[in-house]
Amino acid sequence: MEEKQLSGEESLKLINRMIYEAKGYFYESGLGGIIYGISISICCILAWLFESERISFPFHPLFLMTPVFFIQGWVQYKEEKKKKAKTFTDEAIDHVWLGYFLSVFAALCGNFVNAGYIIITIILLLTAFASFITGMLTKFRYHIICGLVCMVIAIISFFMQNVNIYLLMAATGIVVWLVPGFVLRAHFKKLNHAM
Amino acid sequence: MFKELDPILHSQLRLAVMSLLISVKQAEFTFLKEKTNSTAGNLSVQVQKLKEAGYIEVIKECKDNYPNTTCKITQKGIKAFEEYVKSLQQYLQVKK
Repeated sequence: MEEKQLSGEESLKLINRMIYEAKGYFYESGLGGIIYGISISICCILAWLFESERISFPFHPLFLMTPVFFIQGWVQYKEEKKKKAKTFTDEAIDHVWLGYFLSVFAALCGNFVNAGYIIITIILLLTAFASFITGMLTKFRYHIICGLVCMVIAIISFFMQNVNIYLLMAATGIVVWLVPGFVLRAHFKKLNHAM
Repeated sequence: MFKELDPILHSQLRLAVMSLLISVKQAEFTFLKEKTNSTAGNLSVQVQKLKEAGYIEVIKECKDNYPNTTCKITQKGIKAFEEYVKSLQQYLQVKK
């Protein structure tokens, strides 16, 4: 692009083209989703095996999620640094997921009063909302579908207030994080290959 | 009678940079270079002019041991851009 004076029409065309280019910028490797999806699914299956007394464990397997949060946080931080531009959509999604994790933390506090399996139902509902809103913001249809599927899982969980609820949570991990993670990773690789 | 177009914005590269920056929260120099298809030297000069006008903020930092420049539009820049687009639309309507 050279330094030259523009006519009115040219200016408007240039503005439109640049806005379109900037809004179309997308960088998501899907790595964070894959790590989180695998971890949450494995931890939930272990929790199900543990609570149904099929295996013994020195502590509740869900505590394994604590280091996962830190690892995933670090991966996410590294991924953020690779982005050449931060769009307003990226910022909105960050806020949605920050709100999600704070709400999950608040829900987990229910354990202090032995609220039971209903906490997991609340977490499933929160996950459904977060996924659905992310899909609406990014216009990534798969996330919208995931949000709806997760909502159905959350509704089922209302009638499954027993140890099997961990299996529903493992399924949510696969639907909400693992599969979209792989879809985004494939898309990312394809884009990088094209460049 | 319509307002005169802002001379700072009424140039191809500066307008392209401002249009990109108004659509994102912040962008790296390499992103602007890639999207505007300009040379680093020319872009650097135009970015400096926008910075001097107070339309953008330029943040220089170190990223993985390499210098990295990030640009962000300011409130003054947003206002100037909106005024520019308004004047442009007015001008085009009169022309019709």
